[in-house]
Amino acid sequence: MSDEKIIVQVDPDLEDLIPGFLENRSSDVEQLRVELDKSDFESVRSIGHSIKGVGGGYGFTLMSELGANIEIAAKESNAELILENINRLDEYLKNVEVEYA
Amino acid sequence: MTTNKSESKVKVLIVDDDNDVLNLLENWLTKENYSVKRAESGTEALNLVGIYAPDLVITDLYMEGMDGMTLLTELHNDNPLLPVIMLSGQAQIPDAIKAMHLGTSAFLTKPINQNEFLETVKKVSPNIDKSILNEFSKSIIYKSKAMSDIIEMASLVADNDVSVFISGSTGTGKEVIAKAIHEASSRRDKRFIAINCGAIPEQLLESELFGHEKGAFTGANLKHEGLFQAANGGTIFLDEVGDMPLALQVKLLRVLQDFEVRPVGSTKTYPIDVRLISATHKNLENAVEKGEFREDLYYRLKVVPLDIPNLTDRQDDIPALVEHFLNAFSKSNAQDKKKFSPDAMKYLCSMPWPGNVRQLINVVDLCATLSKTKNIPLSLVKKAVHDDPVHMQTLKEAKQAFEKGYLLSVLRITHGHVANAAKIAGRNRTEFYKLLNQYDIEPARFRDKKNTEKETS
Repeated sequence: MSDEKIIVQVDPDLEDLIPGFLENRSSDVEQLRVELDKSDFESVRSIGHSIKGVGGGYGFTLMSELGANIEIAAKESNAELILENINRLDEYLKNVEVEYA
Repeated sequence: MTTNKSESKVKVLIVDDDNDVLNLLENWLTKENYSVKRAESGTEALNLVGIYAPDLVITDLYMEGMDGMTLLTELHNDNPLLPVIMLSGQAQIPDAIKAMHLGTSAFLTKPINQNEFLETVKKVSPNIDKSILNEFSKSIIYKSKAMSDIIEMASLVADNDVSVFISGSTGTGKEVIAKAIHEASSRRDKRFIAINCGAIPEQLLESELFGHEKGAFTGANLKHEGLFQAANGGTIFLDEVGDMPLALQVKLLRVLQDFEVRPVGSTKTYPIDVRLISATHKNLENAVEKGEFREDLYYRLKVVPLDIPNLTDRQDDIPALVEHFLNAFSKSNAQDKKKFSPDAMKYLCSMPWPGNVRQLINVVDLCATLSKTKNIPLSLVKKAVHDDPVHMQTLKEAKQAFEKGYLLSVLRITHGHVANAAKIAGRNRTEFYKLLNQYDIEPARFRDKKNTEKETS
């Protein structure tokens, strides 16, 4: 796992919202793993879809891309690709550092 | 970006089952000075709409339970004018097309771009200048949804020159709305002239509206400008237009088509720039079917229809109206303000009010006059309502009202020349003077051209 920090610049007006937002995404990662273990691809797709929809708005563009990847992979029931993107998202969340500017 | 011209904010209801989306949108909108309420489901949104009365709804398409399309349909069942922005995580063209067909104002895909989002919100926000709404609230007391919808529509059209057609039962306040539209328009510095088409005989009405040349008919010793020319640059309100004789309807139609008037007895036409608002308590569609009202004129007049609700359909407004009339009574009579006891107010709110707001004013005034105590008791209200069941004019009152209107019209046309006016009226001068005295009408003031405004109602 890479420890390289990922710097994301976010609107300072969103500062209060960011900790809760990132916490929710970490919960999403946990939930994604649970649903994937059950092979519940519809739930996986739905979570991926939500991540895609909300990430970019807060300034986390890569998060939205990973959400979209998970959504597409879930539609194809591609567990391997889903897991790969969940791991990438997990890593991203652990390494992301927010700069308010 | 500034969104509001006045302190009042555009009210936005945001609907999404994802709290992080709601947080984000609320943050963006609040920063831009919108007032925001949030709902986590379509059902919650529908409950909130009645209470919050948003100017705009922004909803996600895919939600647990009621989805965005269903919400849109439900919202528009109740208020087809309410702008709705649909958000979707999928840029699926069929969804966008369906949403547009259902009347959505804009369709945005997630992830949402802040600038695009705010530009869209600005674009689809109803173009209600809150200062216009404030103008309406100066003269119209309302908080009911029925009346709010009417005022919203009136606000939207106030500053356009489209013809507004106001329908509603007697006493609902059609002229008040017409005047408020004029006051909220850019024509407010020019004149608002109201005329009751049903109160004046045909020949006089023609002359009143379009003017006449000197010698156009017996007694027409002076040229008369007519109300359309007098209202130039302003607004003319034709009340009871359904009572206008067919021959005059043709002439009115021509005025609306050509924007010019030709006075009686003249070969010359005069350009006019007048905003027309008309009203009637009659069912004009029936009148058109019976051939009593021209269909082409009907459609010319009814570009924007406003149907004023009966007082019973806006019961929520009754306490505020009562308060307003009590204040007005106390001011005009220099008395301490009285108030209705709670059971009396409850009774007022439950009355059928066939005479609408006008009847309510009468009852409030009567109660305020007769009550010996500061608190007006239920017994007095019951008596007042009973004594004034519909406040229909008696035949004598109606005749007197007509006679007074007629005398005013004749004097206006003859510019206060009593001999000519008497000739038109078919009376000798002595009899005519007697009639003028009876109604306290001073012919001299009709000799002043500036003082020819509405006196027919």
